[in-house]
Amino acid sequence: MAVLPDADRIRIWKGLMRYWSNLRETLAGMLKADLRAAVDAADSWVDANAASYNSALPVTFRTNATQSQKSLLLVAVILMRFNLNLLKQVFGEVD
Amino acid sequence: MANTRAVFTPYGAIFPAANFPQLTLVNRHPVLGFDAATAETCYFETVAPVGLTGAQTLTVHYMMASATSGKVDFTVAVESVTPGDALDMDAGDSFDAANTITAPTVPATAGYEQVFTCTLTNVDSMAAGDHVRFALLRDATDAVNDTATGDCYVLKAEWRDAV
Repeated sequence: MAVLPDADRIRIWKGLMRYWSNLRETLAGMLKADLRAAVDAADSWVDANAASYNSALPVTFRTNATQSQKSLLLVAVILMRFNLNLLKQVFGEVD
Repeated sequence: MANTRAVFTPYGAIFPAANFPQLTLVNRHPVLGFDAATAETCYFETVAPVGLTGAQTLTVHYMMASATSGKVDFTVAVESVTPGDALDMDAGDSFDAANTITAPTVPATAGYEQVFTCTLTNVDSMAAGDHVRFALLRDATDAVNDTATGDCYVLKAEWRDAV
């Protein structure tokens, strides 16, 4: 893997600002440059730890699931912990 | 003494074909949502009134969607068309040089209303009876003067002159 191209990091940065604006969710105490740096840091962390995540998965799932399926699994777990409503939008329902 | 010459509301905004603010309702307030990453423009049109005199300003009322720090930067360009001017209005524009502001620091609480005032030094030789157009642009790509995250919601704009 490699880190995302700059253009894709910018797409995330723009998307986050639009998403939180639409929710009127306060983004306290930071500037556009701070948010952009956070996007870069998150992407770099994912890149640096991708192999570690993969090796943590049970061998059956690890060897049979696609990259897309593994990434959705990780996103689902994170959203269940911190943003259930968004997970419901991804899955339709979380019952 | 200042005179109010016009008050422009979001419903009166006119939009270009691309890169325009979103007309939306925020807690039932109509607003123009100017993006934080793309420079967006809208227009307001009117007729220059009789008696127009002195320095002109455009005072813009706004609030932030999510930001609590940083600055927003806007410019206001003016186009004044006198009947008979050699301007093909169905094909071209003739805006004067953009008027700038000192970018204001946004309120420390998202949703709090604030104003900034743009002094209109460049008014395209405006005279009473002219067809006037104001182009309001958030200069979101100015990394120095527009640092606040998220949308800037414009609520109203008030055009004033001075007697």
